[in-house]
Amino acid sequence: MNKQEQKEYLEQYKRDKEKGVPFYPDILFKDAVISLVIFLALAALAYFIGTPLEERANPSDTSYTPKPEWYFLFLFQLLKYFPGELEVLAVVAIPTLAIILLFFLPFLDRNSKRHPLSRPWVTVLVLGSVVGVLFLTVQSIRETPPPSEAGQGDPVAALYTENCAVCHGGTILVPEGTNLHDIIAQGTHEGMPAWSGDLTSDEIDALAGFVLSPGGNALFKEFCSACHESSELVASDPIELKMALDEGLAYAPHADVNIPEWSDAISQQERTALLNFLVAPDGQRLFATNCAQCHGRSVSFAGEEAELRLLINQGGLHLEMPPWRETLSNDQLDALAGYVTNPSDTGDGLELFTQYCASCHGDRIPTMDDFDQAREIIASGGAHETMPVWGEVLTAEQFDALVSYTLEAAQGTPLEVGQELFAQNCTICHGDFGEGGPNPARPDDIIAPISTSEYLKTRDDHTLFQITAQGQPNFGMSPFGSAYGGPLDDDQVTALVAFIRSWEADPPVDLPPEVNTSSISLSSDEVYEQLCAQCHGPDGLGDVGPSLRDPGFRTNNTPQEIFETISNGHEATPMISWGDLLSADTIQDLTDFILALEITEAGVIPQPTPGFASFAEDVMPIFEAKCVPCHGSMGGWDGTTYDAVMTTGDNAPTVIPNDVENSILAQKIIGEQTYGAIMPPAGKMTNAEIQIILDWIAAGAPDN
Amino acid sequence: MVLKIANWLDERVGWSGVWEAIFLRKIPKVNWFYTLGSATLFTAVNQAVTGILLTLYYVPTPDHAYDSVQYITTQIPMGWLIRGLHHWGASAMVVLTVLHMLRVILLGAYKYPREVTWFTGVFLLLIVVGFGFTGYLLPWDQKAYWGSAVGSSIAGAAPVIGEWVLRVVRGGSDLSAVTLARFYGVHVWVLPASLILLLGIHMYLVIKIGISAVPQREDEA
Repeated sequence: MNKQEQKEYLEQYKRDKEKGVPFYPDILFKDAVISLVIFLALAALAYFIGTPLEERANPSDTSYTPKPEWYFLFLFQLLKYFPGELEVLAVVAIPTLAIILLFFLPFLDRNSKRHPLSRPWVTVLVLGSVVGVLFLTVQSIRETPPPSEAGQGDPVAALYTENCAVCHGGTILVPEGTNLHDIIAQGTHEGMPAWSGDLTSDEIDALAGFVLSPGGNALFKEFCSACHESSELVASDPIELKMALDEGLAYAPHADVNIPEWSDAISQQERTALLNFLVAPDGQRLFATNCAQCHGRSVSFAGEEAELRLLINQGGLHLEMPPWRETLSNDQLDALAGYVTNPSDTGDGLELFTQYCASCHGDRIPTMDDFDQAREIIASGGAHETMPVWGEVLTAEQFDALVSYTLEAAQGTPLEVGQELFAQNCTICHGDFGEGGPNPARPDDIIAPISTSEYLKTRDDHTLFQITAQGQPNFGMSPFGSAYGGPLDDDQVTALVAFIRSWEADPPVDLPPEVNTSSISLSSDEVYEQLCAQCHGPDGLGDVGPSLRDPGFRTNNTPQEIFETISNGHEATPMISWGDLLSADTIQDLTDFILALEITEAGVIPQPTPGFASFAEDVMPIFEAKCVPCHGSMGGWDGTTYDAVMTTGDNAPTVIPNDVENSILAQKIIGEQTYGAIMPPAGKMTNAEIQIILDWIAAGAPDN
Repeated sequence: MVLKIANWLDERVGWSGVWEAIFLRKIPKVNWFYTLGSATLFTAVNQAVTGILLTLYYVPTPDHAYDSVQYITTQIPMGWLIRGLHHWGASAMVVLTVLHMLRVILLGAYKYPREVTWFTGVFLLLIVVGFGFTGYLLPWDQKAYWGSAVGSSIAGAAPVIGEWVLRVVRGGSDLSAVTLARFYGVHVWVLPASLILLLGIHMYLVIKIGISAVPQREDEA
């Protein structure tokens, strides 16, 4: 619009105005009429329809189907057409673009023409948007199914329609390797509730299967649902399922059933879809069904992902089986081979299997058709397939999920890490379950439980983090966060908080325990153990705080100064003031206790007090419990007697007295071995057990 | 007597000038579509009056919000009407704002010399939407809670700043008492203040420039 046109417009407008009417009363009358009509309409709506008020908000009721105010429905509906990563487009890009376009409209449409028919572009675009928004709104209302009609006849589809379709529409695109079970159960996805409260694990599995393989669901309905309920088959043994599909009529349980030969009826592709549906690619469940029998809760594995993929894919030449002919009689071998070829025979074979084989094979009996072959394998031992060739059994999706889960589990979940940290740092004062107890730092004080639902509900994670990190010096709690001089980094504190938070769902303590409130008198070494050792180490060798045995520490601190430091704390360090918490007498005793500690050369760590008293009483029981099941008479290292421990092994000696670092036994139990796998293969021993064995070697591996 | 007081006041306040400027000004002949702006203004006044009345009883905490709304609806004389007018008025305001905007677009009223009026209008639309979004949570019933949970999480889907936006909107990672207090504060203080400011400018411009005339189809060759 140029100057000339602007001037013309103003003149024209002036003429229009002169021909026009005064605002009052003409225009105002019209406005008043409209306003009255609107007011009456609103009052009528309020009177006849009323104002809806639903049940009180219930944040734990995840079954509620959220719906926004009606004028946002079109946006909600738009979201359904942009699944996964494209979500951003619908949520951010399109609305922002629309608002910007709207705002700059006067600059975009600079033509002097004003009549809608003279500006077809703007008119068409705007009317198009209006139609689009109306369409989306109507669509959104139509697509929210009345709950009663949802997915009749197909329980899994019904679950999906009821719970997922409202937000996700008909299908969900899931990136490869997603642990869908977790996502559904925990609701980690933005705005998605945790379903674990409302759905059973089987239902979640069925849903995960449905999402990943809607085709599989249809196939299941067509071929299997006549005899099987879906929840009965989901998450069952994938080997069985695969066999049932591959063997068709030859599959024993299907022998008498009138079914088609699956290999003809269902294509390879469809079989994969069906398997994905039945055993949803969910690492944790796959691990639990397939691996846990032999491997326990998790496998210690520190290698690369590719290595693990190969290992699982090819199955197992990864464990050596001892040559049983060296230990078993011919009759026993026959019995075992007989059992393996015909597991229903419950004679000696079962007993032998339980005794010799089950510790590695679990109750998954390695079946063989040929008796002679089985006998030969058992007799000669060696590398045989202990682990199924999973690459042949699992679908690609299942395989990915299993690998990523196994890797993750090998690193320990935050919860387990948190639990361990809690045991190491917190149980001294807070008890094993956070139940609290007498405060060792303040004689008549009781530490209240931190695991009650009341405590946990009133403190958010941030608060717990701050308390843990900064400590509560007034109550005798040292700071634990490294930012405040404590021993734990932020991740560890977070893990700790996560563990404490995990109590909220099922608080171990709901009432403060009855605690004996009579004053507790602790001797100075007990006080040291409970309070000072947190930072100065159990032996006073220092940890977060300085070594109390260091000669420099003694020369720089007079007894008086030590007394004062304990009383007043030390600024800029996590050493808090204990003067308010301990009596002067106690501090004096503590000072004497510290002064009585033997001085060691700076940097030289004295022989630590051995954590074991005797080989027979402390070390041997661990061997018996953790090693002898395999390392008995199976060849290789033998853990049954002291002499055998010291002399046997493929690379004997396995134990080098006084040399922890080079002892193969030590390397293998802490996972730093140069060859082979960590022992025991099902997972590390506890730290305490490892320490006993290490101390025993360090002390010269005596036979006492 | 009344006239005397009026004249006395006029001499000192000069309101007859204002009266003339606002009420006696000439307006081009327009049709009924041109009442949409006034209708929107009326709903805004309706929302303000009923909203202020609602705050007399409404308590913005998770413990009491639901009960207070229930109390307003069932116990207070005409409470159902006040709340009903506010509830339905909200929808009416959104609809009328959009219709008013469509009228302005289709009849080219945003063009010279009314561009600034248009800009304030777009902001007013956003404010109205903001009113709707924040007000939806306040009754603290199921649809309020879950609708706002989903609605705010949608805001969190933005790249990079999404998480931050979500925290700011909710006042934490979850929908909580803080969220309710926040939505309430925005609904009764921040947005009304912005509305009054922008509406003032909008109205001033409308009166000063005058509303646009119905455009005639230009005779094109």
